Amino acid sequence: MRQAKTAYSGFLSGGGIPRQHDPHLLPLARIKKIMKKSSVDVKMISREAPLVFSKACELFIEELTKRSWNMTIQGKRRTVHKEDVAHAVATTDVFDFLIDLAHPNTSNHHVDLNEDIEKKQ
Amino acid sequence: MDDSTNNKITTGDDETANQQERLLPIANVSRIMKQILPQNAKISKEAKETMQECASEFISFVTGEASEKCKKERRKTVNGDDVCWAMGTLGFDDYAPPLKRYLDRYREVEGDRSATPQRNEEEGRPSSSSTQFDPNLKPF
Repeated sequence: MRQAKTAYSGFLSGGGIPRQHDPHLLPLARIKKIMKKSSVDVKMISREAPLVFSKACELFIEELTKRSWNMTIQGKRRTVHKEDVAHAVATTDVFDFLIDLAHPNTSNHHVDLNEDIEKKQ
Repeated sequence: MDDSTNNKITTGDDETANQQERLLPIANVSRIMKQILPQNAKISKEAKETMQECASEFISFVTGEASEKCKKERRKTVNGDDVCWAMGTLGFDDYAPPLKRYLDRYREVEGDRSATPQRNEEEGRPSSSSTQFDPNLKPF
């Protein structure tokens, strides 16, 4: 992960780094491991493939986070909860593959400003 | 020691390590989430963990599709183009333009080391999936 650092080092200092300038927000070795485990058919992986994923995952996480945040503010809250992620998944077609991972549950520690439990039934 | 409260355990360490290996590090995932949210936003631990799981599933999902393609084309190596193709097929074509810019910039920096699709680890056969990003795929 250090090889690209010289070219990007100017962008790496400080906060508020524009996302397109930081090449390795996610560890490539870990991505490669996850890829290998995904299917017995995966035999060899080119050097570029985990790199593409490092950027793609960033975009994916950003998108899912933004959508989750929409749910959070709809609930007049400032803390993103698991349920917000679940609702974002449920309402986005392209995230259908995540339905089993994040299903909207009644939360054990969902804090609702109104606490209208009866209305929720 | 009871391992329900402490992750630093001697027994079951393999399980914990295994668990962590199939997920992206929570600190990294967290950072990406924070970057996109307003400063006053907070993220629960559970939400971060859910995001970790979702990101791993995303990788598996797309890789599965990409490796299917390789299998059909009798290629052993999943390359960057296959990953991009798979993403387009699965509905993530919105990611194609920024991914392309990212890859182009990386290739500029790294020289042609990773650029040529022919440099697969297989029998010297050039990649038949020269499909680049197709922004004309079905709209998101």
